[in-house]
Amino acid sequence: MKMKKMVALGLAGSLVAGTLVGCSGKGDEASGKADSGVTELELFSSKMESVSTLQSLVDSFNEQNPDIKVTLNAPADAGTVLKTRMTKDDLPDILAYGGDNRYTELTDVGVLIDLSDEDFIKTINPSYMNMLYQINADRDEKAYGAPFATNASGIIYNVDLFKEAGVEVPSTWDEFMEVCETLESAGIQPFEFTFKDGWTTLLSWNPMAADLQPENFLFDRKDGKATFTGTHEEVLEKYLQVIQYGQADYMGTSYDDGNRNFANGSAAMLINGSWTVPELKKTNPDINLDMFAYPTTNDEAKNLTASGIDVLLAVTTQCKNPEAAKKFVSFMLQPENSQQYMEEQFAFSPVEGVMQEDESVASLAKNITDGKVVDFSDHYYPSGYDLAAILSEFFLNRENGMADQENIEATLKKCDEQYDILNVN
Amino acid sequence: MKKARVKERVNWPLTILLFALAILLIFGPLYITVVIALKSPQEMGNVLALPKQIHWQNFADAWKMTEYPKKFINTLFITVVTLVFTILTNSMTAYAITRNKEKNWFFKVMYYYFISAMFIPFNVLMLPLVKQASLFHMDNIYGITFLYIIFGLPMNTFLYAGQVKSLPVALEEAAIIDGATTTQTFIKIIFPLMKPMSATVAIMSFMWTWNDFLMPLVLLSDAKYQTLQLAQYVFKGQFATQYNLAFASYLMVLIPILIVYVFCQKWIIAGVTSGSVKA
Amino acid sequence: MKKSRAKVAWPFYMMVAPMAVLFFIFHTIPFLQGIFYSFTDWKGFGNWEFIGLDNYFMFFKDPTIRQTYWFTFKFAFCATVLVNLLSLALACGLNGKIKGRGLLKAVYFLPYMLGTLIIGFVFNFIFGNVFPDLGKALGIEALSVNILGTNKAWLGVLFVTVWQSMAFNTMIYLAGLQTVDKDVYEAAAVDGSKGLQRFFKITFPLIAPFFTINMVLSVKGFLMAFDQIMAMTGGGPGTSTTSISVLIYKRGFDGGQFAYQSANAVILFVVIAVISVFQLKVLEKREAKIN
Repeated sequence: MKMKKMVALGLAGSLVAGTLVGCSGKGDEASGKADSGVTELELFSSKMESVSTLQSLVDSFNEQNPDIKVTLNAPADAGTVLKTRMTKDDLPDILAYGGDNRYTELTDVGVLIDLSDEDFIKTINPSYMNMLYQINADRDEKAYGAPFATNASGIIYNVDLFKEAGVEVPSTWDEFMEVCETLESAGIQPFEFTFKDGWTTLLSWNPMAADLQPENFLFDRKDGKATFTGTHEEVLEKYLQVIQYGQADYMGTSYDDGNRNFANGSAAMLINGSWTVPELKKTNPDINLDMFAYPTTNDEAKNLTASGIDVLLAVTTQCKNPEAAKKFVSFMLQPENSQQYMEEQFAFSPVEGVMQEDESVASLAKNITDGKVVDFSDHYYPSGYDLAAILSEFFLNRENGMADQENIEATLKKCDEQYDILNVN
Repeated sequence: MKKARVKERVNWPLTILLFALAILLIFGPLYITVVIALKSPQEMGNVLALPKQIHWQNFADAWKMTEYPKKFINTLFITVVTLVFTILTNSMTAYAITRNKEKNWFFKVMYYYFISAMFIPFNVLMLPLVKQASLFHMDNIYGITFLYIIFGLPMNTFLYAGQVKSLPVALEEAAIIDGATTTQTFIKIIFPLMKPMSATVAIMSFMWTWNDFLMPLVLLSDAKYQTLQLAQYVFKGQFATQYNLAFASYLMVLIPILIVYVFCQKWIIAGVTSGSVKA
Repeated sequence: MKKSRAKVAWPFYMMVAPMAVLFFIFHTIPFLQGIFYSFTDWKGFGNWEFIGLDNYFMFFKDPTIRQTYWFTFKFAFCATVLVNLLSLALACGLNGKIKGRGLLKAVYFLPYMLGTLIIGFVFNFIFGNVFPDLGKALGIEALSVNILGTNKAWLGVLFVTVWQSMAFNTMIYLAGLQTVDKDVYEAAAVDGSKGLQRFFKITFPLIAPFFTINMVLSVKGFLMAFDQIMAMTGGGPGTSTTSISVLIYKRGFDGGQFAYQSANAVILFVVIAVISVFQLKVLEKREAKIN
């Protein structure tokens, strides 16, 4: 009896659910292509920090274009999700993606539409177009995406805490270490590290590696003419020096928790990028921030700001209506929309004439206009190369009491081993 | 007589210990979940303290942000349809196989085919399955439901086989003599007798599909098809440190199952244990 | 042969055939495809070539694989032992002469109902925000850092797994204990066995079949650990809590190692099959001996 009831209940439930799903499915279609000719486009974004800004831009685009409906999708772990969808041959229509090795791979497989002849490409600063060409699979001069926002990574500092300790922004390595000492003796924690999220270990590696590695290393490494061992010891040595000034639980603090702590004044410096600033301002709108370039060496001229394409907009070959998608890209690159994104996200616009004027990133903005920039090294490593895991392990070894020299050797050896495994494939 | 009375005496220290452990270990984490979901971010200073004022807004925000109703309906659809069709189809298949496996090589082969498939975990199939599912356009809730029904077959054949063996063949023979067809015999006589095992299968299937994360993760990329579990993962980054919002959202996923549990807990425990024990 | 075949009424074939065909298409074919891909260098998209056994050769040389297998086995072993010990103890407690057994049973079974992913998120918060604060307040050094960021991260994952898995195993053991006739105990009391001795001599042999069920189900489940790791550590720090399943998912899709991880999946299948068969054989033999 009970069973019968359950089955009956189940059937009834499934019918109800079925009709609901059916209805919503039909509803989509009815309001979609079939009747009113509305084109539905999926915008896939890899940036968690910018969801609200993107959403508001998407909303105003949808409002202005009643015949197009763009839906934003910004999942966690977007890289893996996108690759899963590549495997499924089910790509989103429009991508808002970082200019990294996944973009290289997408261009390699040829699933992005060439946008070179579009008018909006002409509004983009040529130096950023060059940066984009560098990460095309065969480095040809074609725009498989439109650079939409660029970032800068470096050191975010709490201006008030610097004042309190009476320290100035350092421009050389020695000054940098002195600043840390002074802060510490003033009872201020110099850094907040967030290594529970492994990718944040790359933020020190990238500028240091870029400044310290031999010229042409990235391409030589690819050709097997150079190795990490013998070239990157100094990077790790300096990294170990920096890490001493972090909080006790630097391995167990997540990106989100660390940002919250930093915004509440837990430490004077946070090593991350311009994209982190909106998160910090969300927690504490009154915080007084600025950024400076990573002072890797004692030669100020050599200390470059790591800057790359943070978001590029690309249209995939699977897009049902490329014209509508291009319309959206063009909309995003209009100065007023670009400006809104830059203001809310503290990014830098590649669109000519759109400036980043917020003082939270002012010092870096100057470096960028002066051209003292270098792209992120990890954008050039093979796809799937998990340097973040290797670096996390490096610090784990440190916590386990491994001697520094031994640790550095083991880590660089691992860097090479893993690189070779992926490079062969 | 005396002995019997001694037996009835309640072991109070043990009772108290078990209650204390239950409160600390089971209710502790649940308490934290509920309290955080009910607080405003300003009250997070002392995580464990009760909220001074209940902040229902968390639920409203999480409801809107994750599009709860849509995800709920998706999950309910997958769960209920899988459950109903699993019982109807798998019981039939298992019955036919078990009844004939000693008589006929075809059914014997089928029996070992399904049983040996129990050794193939989903993770082993995952990569090629994703390719195949998208080829067949099964990367949506209908497709995943279909796959759940099929993938449950090895385990359910195993469970049902134990039950079918215990049913006397004489019942069917009598029915056939009375002029019933094989199908009628199954529907009218065997299926009702398999009720206890069907209950177990139903619970297992419900628990599996409602709480599954991996299969939706690799198959359901379209936001409109996402399940409740998957949505929690997808929104992890957007929740960031808004723990109150995140926990309100988690709680909304747990509540339906808690309600079911409160009303059917005896039945569920009995079903789960008897199933595994008998098989 | 032919004669016996004719005896089976045709509707029986109809009850099996459709499901068997569907199962073959959606379960067996992907499984065979996986084996096929493991001999190629496919990334999951684009072109591919046959590379013979290269993936398997690489498998045995890859330090990440070694670490992943080590972690998974260590984790599965500890989880199996702990879960079975603790749930057996808990089941004995629940089988004692206590008040409120029904309520207690319901409460201890509750974790089984909750999704592993969400439990993982909740404990991730507890480890990251509640315990460190508590540790600092109480001045306990070991508690004051997030365990998930240390080389003991796997213990955090283990704790959550044990917490959840105990629910099911406890109920199985309890069902087993309740089949033991009270008279057996009285006979034992006459013999003078007490406490642990009584447990090992009398109770345990009687519930051995339940022990078999639990062992088989536990090991397989723990070797597949995925949800709780994705929710808590994402496989970190480094790759120290990356289970085989997490590695297949992450590298198989994202790392351009679709074929290589297919080889990993094939080996995982062999491992699981061998372990399960071995377990069943050994445990059944022992049960038989005890009985």
